[in-house]
Amino acid sequence: MKSKRFEVLEQRPVNQDGFVKEWTEVGLIAMDSPNDPKPSIKIENGKIVELDGKRREDFDMLDVFIADYAIKLDNAEKVMKMDSAILARKLVDINVSRKEILDLTLSMTPAKIVEVVSQMNVLEMMMSVTKMRARKIPTNQCHVTNLKDNPIQIAADAAEAAIRGFDEQETTVGIARYAPFNALGILVGAQVGRPGVLTQCAVEEATELKLGMRGLTAYAETVSVYGTEAVFMDGDDTPWSKAFLASCYASRGLKMRFTSGTGSEVQMGYSEGKSMLYLEARCLYVTKGAGVQGTQNGSVSCVGVPAGVPGGIRAILAENLIAMMLDLECASSNDQTFTHSDLRRVARTLMQLVPGTDFICSGYSATPNYDNMFAGSNWDAEDYDDWNIIQRDLKIDGGLIPVTEEEVVKVRNKAARAIQALFRELELPEITDEEVEAATYAHGSKDMPERNVVEDLKATEEMMNRGITGIDVVKALYRAGFEDVAESVFNLLKERIAGDYLHTAAIVDKDFKVISAVNYPNDYAGPQTGYQISDERWAEISNIRNAVSPEDF
Amino acid sequence: MEQEQLLKQIIEEVMKSMNGNKEIDKSHTVSNTDRMDVTNYPLGEKVPERIKTPTGKLLSEITLDKVISGEIGSSDVRISPETLEMQAQVSESVNKDAFANNLRRASELIAVPDDRLLEIYNLLRPYRSTKEELYDIARELEEKYNCTVNANFVREAADVYEARGRLRKDI
Amino acid sequence: MVIDERLLKSVIAEVLQEMNFDNTVDVKGDQFIPEEISNMDIKEIGDAQKGSAPNEVVIGLAAAFGVHQTKTIVGVPHYEVLREVIAGIEEEGMNYRIVKVYRTSDVAFVAHDSAKLSGSGIGIGIQSKGTTVIHQKDLFPLSNLELFSQAPLLDLKAYRDIGRNAARYAKGESPNPVPVKNDQMARPKYQAIAALLHIKETQYVDGNKRPQELNIEFK
Repeated sequence: MKSKRFEVLEQRPVNQDGFVKEWTEVGLIAMDSPNDPKPSIKIENGKIVELDGKRREDFDMLDVFIADYAIKLDNAEKVMKMDSAILARKLVDINVSRKEILDLTLSMTPAKIVEVVSQMNVLEMMMSVTKMRARKIPTNQCHVTNLKDNPIQIAADAAEAAIRGFDEQETTVGIARYAPFNALGILVGAQVGRPGVLTQCAVEEATELKLGMRGLTAYAETVSVYGTEAVFMDGDDTPWSKAFLASCYASRGLKMRFTSGTGSEVQMGYSEGKSMLYLEARCLYVTKGAGVQGTQNGSVSCVGVPAGVPGGIRAILAENLIAMMLDLECASSNDQTFTHSDLRRVARTLMQLVPGTDFICSGYSATPNYDNMFAGSNWDAEDYDDWNIIQRDLKIDGGLIPVTEEEVVKVRNKAARAIQALFRELELPEITDEEVEAATYAHGSKDMPERNVVEDLKATEEMMNRGITGIDVVKALYRAGFEDVAESVFNLLKERIAGDYLHTAAIVDKDFKVISAVNYPNDYAGPQTGYQISDERWAEISNIRNAVSPEDF
Repeated sequence: MEQEQLLKQIIEEVMKSMNGNKEIDKSHTVSNTDRMDVTNYPLGEKVPERIKTPTGKLLSEITLDKVISGEIGSSDVRISPETLEMQAQVSESVNKDAFANNLRRASELIAVPDDRLLEIYNLLRPYRSTKEELYDIARELEEKYNCTVNANFVREAADVYEARGRLRKDI
Repeated sequence: MVIDERLLKSVIAEVLQEMNFDNTVDVKGDQFIPEEISNMDIKEIGDAQKGSAPNEVVIGLAAAFGVHQTKTIVGVPHYEVLREVIAGIEEEGMNYRIVKVYRTSDVAFVAHDSAKLSGSGIGIGIQSKGTTVIHQKDLFPLSNLELFSQAPLLDLKAYRDIGRNAARYAKGESPNPVPVKNDQMARPKYQAIAALLHIKETQYVDGNKRPQELNIEFK
């Protein structure tokens, strides 16, 4: 006979998920692999000659880069001798400042920093994140994509996402050649919603840089690094080419961060039998060494791998924390689907949502998940009210703002009309009134009319060949009567002249003032310090549309 | 305007060559007594009069009206080497040295045109170039664009690629 | 649980065996024996040459395809995958060549290498787990004409459409891209096993071996 209890359990969403047992030889282990190196450092004549048990002559490419660029030598020998448990306690201790911690952590080796975070449980890690996050004020980022790469829908969804509070927005493509239209859609849509929102288009590295140079995006994030040399090669880069790329962005006044995450080396077949967290630590040291201000990490698109092994979600929090211990901006993932279970996906997100990170989600899907072209996010447009109410329940700031239907319809319509006018002015394929209407009220791409894809793809190519830039977009919007949107796009372009938003964890507010870890550093030192939700912000969070007041009765 | 630009460029080049092979060129056109720090940040708000575009225009001259009238184009909405140097100083004042180094590499690369910069990036990727080709790029960066730090960086990459078997395998 | 547990175990067991590891992983239970795959004979006939015929599309297979692995991640037999891609190419009146790429198991590079060998400049890369890319020789390796990253969603019709579109690109046409599919639950279901299948493929990578021309007979 079959147990009825087990029959019911079998049907639970969580049992649709894939789980695997640890398998250390191929790196299917989240933390503490017996193959992970033991921390060590030897410095001779100002040069690291031994790193984590490896002598310089045995260094691979990543070791060389990390040894020469990523570790502050002054304190290194002292810190390496300190007990890792004591270092971990300092991280949790509210009486030890963020700055004091950085003086220690910036001189650790990858194996050492991993050993330190391995001493902590998730609650202790969350307390450390509260203190170590770079920017004082936490915020959020979203994905704006759709199955058909429909640029009108992207503009409308971006506008809605902007009034819902996302300070950064990211698009990507189903079909690579659509990239310029998607970049236009998210740029214009986001500025319609809230002036100053930063937008990006995640595509192949060189293409992404080109879009940035043209002024069609405001920052970049899909600049991936990996923890073993073999996978780095399959990623078609080296630490040197990636560091050069980072400087290319800065030379054009564009903000950027790298991306990495636990599980990618296993996923791509070369883990050297090391734990996922150790390899991710190496990625973060490459990021640090390249002089990049921040990272998107937290397993990201490989989340199914750590989530499938024991302790994987803890390892994801640990990797976010390591990023912060290296004084990097941390866009802490919570972006990609990893489970069928609503309980699991909330539990996973509380790790970053409760302490707050620079960007809690590095891709909350601003569309229904069927339209999410990062293969689904852990949170989507259908969860907006859940997220808002969780903020309200716990009195935490998850970056979102409750909005009304009227506001959303209005702003979506304006974004759709703006992109329609822009296409007309730039002589791109027509956007019909029917499409504007559909985008205004759409939930997802199923509600959108079909476009002529072949004609669109030809036009994207022509647009790039014609050399259309952000300045052309400004002029075209202005000519078409969208002076305010033109001004916002212009102000966004202007940000790159002073370059203030290149700095760690920078966002731009509606008045185009830069808020970063430089002018708003995290100064948490226990209760009633650090970021506190203001009365205005609390009123905003509290005021959800479905709350009744006593006067209603 | 064009003359002023030319003059500026010449002064910059002379200053750069005077600094020779020093790894980190901290002076540029900002003198040491005048270093930027965290109190000057954001520079665009606190010291806008110090911010100029690579085309020599003041930040305050960059307005929407001038874009519409065509007076200002894409080449005016760019960052200048001097501004990146100031931002590097700001980041050093908050103990972000690696980031400052990146900004200094970047300040050199402003001189390299978009298309060439993209090409060089692609040639630095694994299996794209021979050692000689990478050394040629380093020389080009040094001689044509005055990118000393980047040239050393590319040569270092070439040596590492050679040691690790990541140079181009022919064809 | 949707992952085929038997398949998973067999993959683990096989990899372990090949790597001569102690059998530390729990692989108890029935051993999974792969179905006979006598429906396709694959012979390597030497280094693949760069083609000059403008009417050819080169299909590049990843290292384990059809030999060490015989089905995609959702169990579509490799010989059927190939037959459909070929049928798609032939429907458009174009020719095909099949090569095996050894230097990497990354699908973008497999496709890009194939495109570089192709007389038309168009190549298709297929991994054993089924992930497929249509590529053009002048694009960046990690860019593409069309990418089908979610292997669990690829059925035989999709593979035929991929072959047909590749042939149209080779003719210089601009076909409607094969409709992109998306299943946000593919990752939770398949990512861990995809990792295992890819590890297994990667074990046959040989960084110094040039692409091999294949002669394939379907039975």
